[in-house]
Amino acid sequence: MAVFTLAAKDLRLLLRDPRSAVILLVTPLLLILVLGLALGEGFGEKPDERLRISVVNLDRGLPTQVTFPEKAWSEVVIDDISATQDIRLEIIRDRAEAERLIAKNRRAAVIVFEEDFSEKMHRCSFLSQKDSVNPFGPNGVQLDRLGASLLTDRTQPVSASIIEQVTQVTLLRVVIPWMIGKAFARVGDAQFMEMVAERLKTAKPIPPEVLQELDPVVQRLLITLTNDTEFQLLVGVEFGATNLFDAKKRDAGIADALVIAKRKAEFQRAVHKAFQNRAIMTRVGKEIAFGEVLTPSVQKKVGPTVKEGVGDLFSNYNFESTRWTDLVKTDARAANTANRVEYKDTVGSGVLNRGALRYQILVPSYTVMFSFFLVLSVGWLFVAERKHGTLVRLRAAPLTRGQILMGKMLPCLVVSLLQGVFLLAAGRLLFGMTWGSRPELLLPLVASTSFAAVGLAVLVASVARTETQVAVYGTLLVLVLGGVSGSLMPRDLMPEQMKTVSLVTPHAWALDAYNQLLATPTPDVSTVLTACGALCTFGAAFTVIAWWRMDLE
Amino acid sequence: MPNAVLEVTDIRKRFGSTVALDGVSLTVEAGEVFGLLGPNGAGKTTLLSIAAGLTRADSGSVNLFGKPFTRDDREMRHLIGIGTQDLSIYPDLTASENLRFFGKLYGLRGKQLESRVGEMLASVGLTDRANDRAGTFSGGMKRRLNLAVAVVHAPKLLILDEPTTGVDPQSRNHIFEQVKALNAAGLTVIYTSHYMEEVQTLCSRIAVLDNGLLRACDTLPNLLSRLDTTIRVTVTNAPEGFAERLARARGVNRVREEPLPPTPSPKKGGGERIVSLALATSDTPLGSSPPPFLGEGVGGRGSSTFELVVEDIGPVLAKVASECAATGAELASATTTEPTLERVFLHLTGRGLRD
Repeated sequence: MAVFTLAAKDLRLLLRDPRSAVILLVTPLLLILVLGLALGEGFGEKPDERLRISVVNLDRGLPTQVTFPEKAWSEVVIDDISATQDIRLEIIRDRAEAERLIAKNRRAAVIVFEEDFSEKMHRCSFLSQKDSVNPFGPNGVQLDRLGASLLTDRTQPVSASIIEQVTQVTLLRVVIPWMIGKAFARVGDAQFMEMVAERLKTAKPIPPEVLQELDPVVQRLLITLTNDTEFQLLVGVEFGATNLFDAKKRDAGIADALVIAKRKAEFQRAVHKAFQNRAIMTRVGKEIAFGEVLTPSVQKKVGPTVKEGVGDLFSNYNFESTRWTDLVKTDARAANTANRVEYKDTVGSGVLNRGALRYQILVPSYTVMFSFFLVLSVGWLFVAERKHGTLVRLRAAPLTRGQILMGKMLPCLVVSLLQGVFLLAAGRLLFGMTWGSRPELLLPLVASTSFAAVGLAVLVASVARTETQVAVYGTLLVLVLGGVSGSLMPRDLMPEQMKTVSLVTPHAWALDAYNQLLATPTPDVSTVLTACGALCTFGAAFTVIAWWRMDLE
Repeated sequence: MPNAVLEVTDIRKRFGSTVALDGVSLTVEAGEVFGLLGPNGAGKTTLLSIAAGLTRADSGSVNLFGKPFTRDDREMRHLIGIGTQDLSIYPDLTASENLRFFGKLYGLRGKQLESRVGEMLASVGLTDRANDRAGTFSGGMKRRLNLAVAVVHAPKLLILDEPTTGVDPQSRNHIFEQVKALNAAGLTVIYTSHYMEEVQTLCSRIAVLDNGLLRACDTLPNLLSRLDTTIRVTVTNAPEGFAERLARARGVNRVREEPLPPTPSPKKGGGERIVSLALATSDTPLGSSPPPFLGEGVGGRGSSTFELVVEDIGPVLAKVASECAATGAELASATTTEPTLERVFLHLTGRGLRD
């Protein structure tokens, strides 16, 4: 009970001390405000030299029965962009946001995939179909034909032009293989060959020289045919040589068949000469057309052969493919999801830039740093107890040393907790800071940070004997620890080695945990809890040393 | 000793090579106001700190109300109130908040606490300023509040370490009256002060501490009795045997004759008076030359000085005058010296209280 009496008294004194209010509450708020107004959009982000391509995707996608592509065409394009080195892709929620960013000169250009982008992309074709889309124009891909547009900021023509060229190249990489693959699939197919045959049917008469060119083929056919024994039997049958009931006719038939068999060389020569005879060939050519040569069977044979032939001819390419990497036979370009981020308004709005990303860094940084300025208030509290002679009364009272120290620590812990909650609440209300997806974890973090701060404060109070000593030791300590830990600058900008070294400070653990909770969409809870544990360990160690060192006499 | 409130026995305490207390033993009895005198560095505050349980003695024992009391004994601290040498109040708390806080520390709660706070404020004349912060008070008001805080929990023994230092006369009187009232109500008080008259007025018994040693501890009359009451007379033309005549007078314990009167030298401390036959000047500065109307012979050739150790000054001085008249001697001057607490202190410690 006496502990609470002491604590209540010290809490009252702390709350009445305007110095504490200024140091613990007003100063950090002012610093956050000033820095929030002064710092640029990129504060708190690692410098990123990659080209940012901003996209608004309104694409409805494709009907589910479509087997290729397996996703919306806009996603194919976006994947292609994200797979491009040195480009980072930013997805903007809607057109209005994109137009606002363009209007405020915060983006040079934004690609917008309209609702019918997939549908139009799917209709892109080299084939002459009534609903096919030809996406090409004089400058490459005509975006409007594809259901896409590029919003540009006229004040940033160079950047906009670069983004436009990237867009063109990406769309070509997507649309060209799609169109080629689709077209090449038609080469040599039945419909195609039928169409060819139909066209050739109108090519009549066949010029004599074409028929003459067929002479060697005809000759080989005749030779092979006349030498074939089955053919010879057929000839015998046809000539009546197999007539079992009429010996006369049978003998005559055998004789005729033998004539052919014996005179086939002359027959071949006659045919050959006929083929070499232009007049005969002219007459023969009048009777047949090219298309008659392309019979359905021939078409089936010729079509794929033609396709294979073309493939062999362009062996470095795969015209059957509908993807760029397959078309040009290169390694696959895997989409890089890490390269793709949702747009967040990091600048904020209004005079205070409320909601700006920088506050996600500034508020926790200064909350942590100024929680350790508690060393001044606590130190002064102890010094005042000595200075006003009241420490003698406390020692003379029926109190243990432990009760006196606990009575001092409790109100400091309460003040520190109030300070933490106040600054985080002010960060939210004044500066539009978000508390992240796990706001409940902020409580243990604030509490453990406060415990560490109170421990350090009591430790300083156990060393300092005068107000000046408290001010010098306390300020020096807080600023050095703040600098080493990264409270004065974003920890992400620190070299990795320094980041590791800085973990000797409680501040660094607190900042890492705050970073998880306030700047990471899905915070790693184990990291946060580990940090809380480390902070409590710091607090306990400081308290033990202070307890041992504290001389109340 | 059944009535002993505080009994310290053979207390020794060193701070490094400095001996602060060297075997001090004394007893404070119930209901008395006990004075503790000593020059700066005598060990008074150390002794009081040990008695109050603030400091651990190297050796010796402290008994409080007949029970051993050590620094670790928390319960018996309820019996003690401390009025420190420096102020011990929170300037940023109001008078009532100060009283309430210290009352709570000693276990007072609720109506008892509120009633006690009200009583204390009234007794030190701060009721009107109850809700003002102590930091805005005058020095005297702070001292009064300091005293009220010391007794808010109704202790049985009050230790006051120079409670009137730097206090205006009005507040000093207030504190005086308050201490007297507290004592009258049964509170035992240990009182230290630089002001002899305060101790002389308030304290029934007085201890003199010097260099860590207890030089004396007794009632005021007993302490005063340690020094002689003397009359030094300078007489011209004194006849033979004049000293013996004086020695035979009633009330004279002994007489010592000095052939030539010593030249008066500057002395400190009160209690001496130069008296002439015609005029007794109690305000004559001590150690000044004899007045001119006493003539050239005074202190000169033919003069004799006699120092008489007496029981009472008045009757003996009259007898000296009559002896002079009877023998034709002329009484040139008479200097009387009575024992005071300051002279006792000087006698015991060899130095003044505020040296």
